[in-house]
Amino acid sequence: MIPSLRGPLVAAVVVIGLGVVVLVGTTAIAQAGGYSPVGPTAIPLVVGLAILVLGLLFLGRATIRPDRDLADRMAEEDRATHWPTPTLLGAALLGYAFALAPLGYILATAAFLPLTARIMGSARPRRDVAVGVGLAVVVYFGFTEGLGVRLPAGVLDSVLP
Amino acid sequence: MDVLGDLLGGFATALQPQYLLYAAIGVTLGTLVGVLPGIGPAVTVALLLPLTYAFDPIGAFIMFAGIYYGGMYGGSTTSILLNTPGESASIVTALEGFKMAKAGRAGAALATAAIGSFVAGTVSTIAITFLAPTVAGIAVTFQPADYFALMVLAFVSVTALVGRSILRGAISLFVGLFVGLIGIDVLSGQARFTFGVPELLDGLNIVVVAVGLFAVGEAFYVASRMRHDPEVTPLKGKVGMTGEEFRRSWRPWLRGAAIGFPLGSLPAGGAEIPTFLSYNVEKRLSKHREEFGHGAIEGVAGPEAANNAAFSGVLVPLLTLGIPTSATAAVMLVAFQVYNLQPGPLLFQNSPDLVWALIASLYIGNVMLLVLNLPLIRIWVKILEIPRPVLYSGILVFATLGVYTASNSLVDVLIMYAIGVVGFFMRRFDFPVGPVILGVILGPLLEAQFRRAVSISQGDLSVFITRPFSLALLVIAAAVLVVPYLPRLIALVRGDRTPKDRLDFGDMDD
Repeated sequence: MIPSLRGPLVAAVVVIGLGVVVLVGTTAIAQAGGYSPVGPTAIPLVVGLAILVLGLLFLGRATIRPDRDLADRMAEEDRATHWPTPTLLGAALLGYAFALAPLGYILATAAFLPLTARIMGSARPRRDVAVGVGLAVVVYFGFTEGLGVRLPAGVLDSVLP
Repeated sequence: MDVLGDLLGGFATALQPQYLLYAAIGVTLGTLVGVLPGIGPAVTVALLLPLTYAFDPIGAFIMFAGIYYGGMYGGSTTSILLNTPGESASIVTALEGFKMAKAGRAGAALATAAIGSFVAGTVSTIAITFLAPTVAGIAVTFQPADYFALMVLAFVSVTALVGRSILRGAISLFVGLFVGLIGIDVLSGQARFTFGVPELLDGLNIVVVAVGLFAVGEAFYVASRMRHDPEVTPLKGKVGMTGEEFRRSWRPWLRGAAIGFPLGSLPAGGAEIPTFLSYNVEKRLSKHREEFGHGAIEGVAGPEAANNAAFSGVLVPLLTLGIPTSATAAVMLVAFQVYNLQPGPLLFQNSPDLVWALIASLYIGNVMLLVLNLPLIRIWVKILEIPRPVLYSGILVFATLGVYTASNSLVDVLIMYAIGVVGFFMRRFDFPVGPVILGVILGPLLEAQFRRAVSISQGDLSVFITRPFSLALLVIAAAVLVVPYLPRLIALVRGDRTPKDRLDFGDMDD
């Protein structure tokens, strides 16, 4: 098989897996009484089968009848991809989400922005911190005071108006 | 005559000072977000959706119309200066526009795009004004079976005519349909695919799905390839056109509008096909054919006008049938649902004030876009000069903000990030993202109409082929599936052995 189609192969397996999950999930839907000719399971069944069949077809295009066009594209992708960047970015996002409520919007955002900029290769930490703090403060007050939308104050609760 | 009276009433509402202000804010914010590389109108609308919750429905929709036009316009700026079309309908603009920018003619390209958008937008808005009430009047007689067939047609054309592979487009669509099934089934009250998570009973919030797939997915994708940085082409000289450039632009504007609006308003729309068509028409008609591929102004003027006209055209099926035919329209539909409004033939009867104020604000939004944008182009260009690490960090901050304020729930934010990871891999493996959004939003409507139709016919599935209208639509849908293979088939018939690509119209990420 073409090495660059390994990724699409995994994707095909994931799609097939999703098809199975949908079909299994469909059996878990309770059938309501017979007042309607088409119950709540009909469309899920069609969708599940379609995902399964399309996934199998895609598996075929990744293996026995390789999609050359996609293979070339994937080869270019593999060359251009720098995996640590999106991985670290994902970790930073998780940290950000969990820090929002306890730390408060301002502190979490002021820390998140320079951190992710650094992950994506920014070499000017001082500027990034300034942008982060500025953006966090402007958004916080713009939303809470201007639009009346609540954002978590967190540890700054006693300081903020 | 009635139409004019209604329209005047709409203007009376939309011209009130606070609504004018909302329109101005909408256009500015829309352009501001739309100009960000990789962010098309669909994400712009999804990101800014929570902002409009603070207003009354009319104010919100007036702002929305501004955001819609602004987001569209911002996309063309990015294509011209950065060669990274934020949405597929701008791909053609990038073709000639970026070449013009490289040759130091960015000012003329931006001007013809802006004025062309204005001309086409205005022509289409006039067309909407007269066409929409008529279509709504006809649509009152549509049966559930007809709606079902219309939606099937929309699905098929979006999947088959867009993207590089029907197979991958279809997978995207059905995954979207699955996501749309999550939650309580309205007709039977049964929970589906909630996997015991109470947050899923209401289904996945479309803002979460759209922002995750588009904005977060794009940020991940760009981050993974940060070493391949496209550079902003500096904007030299004046923004504006010479007399010669104007003479070469005005016919393409009008032709673009004439191609874009009818195709956009078909319930099988999207803006990609009209832009490609317009490009080819201009190339064929141009006296300067040798310039095409090296920065021909007709190649920017025509497609940009077609793009804008098609986008306006999409509002016809959205408002009169309640059927979104592009990802952006799908997000707009959500905005209606937030205010408990169901677009469709009855909208014109039940909420005429809102509909006509919205249509009037389309005119106003167009004018505002022109007035604000030509002088402000330099500011938008500055935004493109923000270093990309900071820019994408900022996009992630705003994506999180949008979802967090819409639901105030950590679970939603985490789901959005997870969907963002899916979006990243979809971009990597070249799956189109647009059909997912369409599936999520149109899927539940399709199911409801299907079940309603079959209930009315008391279980007889032939209802879809015995009604001439729905039969015709389903036949067209089948034909659309075959169209992309026509070049190959014709080549086969002619005995031409060189392999022909199937027609494709780029990814639908708008």
